[in-house]
Amino acid sequence: MAYVAVTGGQEAIEEANGLAHFYRVKDTTPSLDIESIEKQLRLLVDRVMGEGGMYAPEYAALALKQAEGDPAEAAFLLRAYRSTLPRNHYSLTVQPVDMRVIRRISSSFRDIPGGQMLGPTYDYTHRMLNFSLRQESNEDMIAFAKEYTDAAELADGSLTFKKVADLLREQGLMAKAAKGKSEEQEPFDITRQKMTIPTTRAARLQALTRGETGAMTALAYSSMRGYGVVHPTIGELRVGYAPVYIPYPYSSEGGDDCLYIGELMLTEVETINSFKQDAESGNVQFLLGYGLCFGQNELKGISMAILERSLETEGTAPAQDEEFVLTHIDSVESSGFVSHLKLPHYITFQSSLDQIRKVQVQKAQLKPEEDERDANNRAEAEQPQENIQHSRV
Amino acid sequence: MKKSQITRALIEGDGILLRRLCEQIEESYEVSILKAPEKSLVMTKANDSVSQQPFYMGEVLVTECTISINSVYGFGVLMGEEAERAYQLAVVDGAFQAKLPETEAWYTELLMEEQKVDEKHRREYSRAMKSKVNFDTMEEYNAKR
Repeated sequence: MAYVAVTGGQEAIEEANGLAHFYRVKDTTPSLDIESIEKQLRLLVDRVMGEGGMYAPEYAALALKQAEGDPAEAAFLLRAYRSTLPRNHYSLTVQPVDMRVIRRISSSFRDIPGGQMLGPTYDYTHRMLNFSLRQESNEDMIAFAKEYTDAAELADGSLTFKKVADLLREQGLMAKAAKGKSEEQEPFDITRQKMTIPTTRAARLQALTRGETGAMTALAYSSMRGYGVVHPTIGELRVGYAPVYIPYPYSSEGGDDCLYIGELMLTEVETINSFKQDAESGNVQFLLGYGLCFGQNELKGISMAILERSLETEGTAPAQDEEFVLTHIDSVESSGFVSHLKLPHYITFQSSLDQIRKVQVQKAQLKPEEDERDANNRAEAEQPQENIQHSRV
Repeated sequence: MKKSQITRALIEGDGILLRRLCEQIEESYEVSILKAPEKSLVMTKANDSVSQQPFYMGEVLVTECTISINSVYGFGVLMGEEAERAYQLAVVDGAFQAKLPETEAWYTELLMEEQKVDEKHRREYSRAMKSKVNFDTMEEYNAKR
């Protein structure tokens, strides 16, 4: 297949851009306020940040406004913008165990230390359109938020919870870190190094955490429906705010100063899949799947944990194929590749056209001979038919 | 107080405190901007609880600024597009780095601000805890009836 660069169409493209702008603004006021998108469409904003690979709620909201709500286009805008900025720092390792939790559930263990809290979720609501939202006013929103906040009491005790995985580990129900790996290893970075298959666990997790929610859900679903071996229960799903720190750049030698830069909202999922006997100890231990992503995106967190675990198993199902999964879940790559089909492919098409025309010319040259042969065949075929008709008469 | 503690109180706390501390220094010292506030990225590393090894989760947009006071560097950084606050954080950091006498009185205020932040978090947490749940199995449910 051959491609060629094309030029021209400048005026038409400008007009097309103008039309896109026109269709975004026609018949509607007021202009969508970025803060409203950021706060009131927060789950979509979270999704776009995850797929764009950059945590910046305000910019994700701006990207959504610009893209007229298309998550793939918004993630592309965010990813493109991200590539214009210098990366000046690396964080200290974020520990989701330090999360200020606002939601924490387990579908495997009913009684987890600290308890389960449903938090902000639509899991237990009837899926019915709420027509009263059409009349929701600014005053209603402010009044509800104020009343809700004012009614909050001052909670005692720790705001963080021990993780279910750590509890399982303490009880010998889950493998401890491999010997010699207790020190932190420098992770592979798929944004700086080319990922080759088979890849490292760190690269796999990085690719999954910025994967497209829908694609990951489809692949995880395929695994549970029978095209794979992973169909877990949720050991723990938590949503909350995790603090992020970076080393202080002007720290004196040997100093361990660090700076707090803010909090990330994260979704973390640990799934329990099956168990296996540990070769060394002989203990039977649970096998966990792991998911962690930006914002509150539970579907993605669970799908990530399923796919992560699925890629640790051997088999022929698509969800067990590392290359298949990791190279098809990236929103920018997949939507970009499918979208590029809309752009000019004239040379490719021209070569196909040339071939068709060549065949047509050859066929045209053979046509007189074929016509004569066809006429003879028809005459032979019709002869017995006439006889039959005569006999009937 | 550690830097991590100070910066947390200043970033999560009321912006008025940060502005006031910054202005206090600006009134008495010459602040040179070495690197004006600019946007950059922090790559976040997170702990994978299964392997207990880190992986890169994605980048975070931050604004950072470097200043100097009496030839001593001050650095400010926080999440988001926040040019003014990045500068103010840098000035406050410069004051601590230069061990300016004004900073001595700041610790009490910072501890109070830290407490306010903690209270805010505790209120948010208590609302979440209202949705704490104890699911009964159907057997238990039927036994209670």
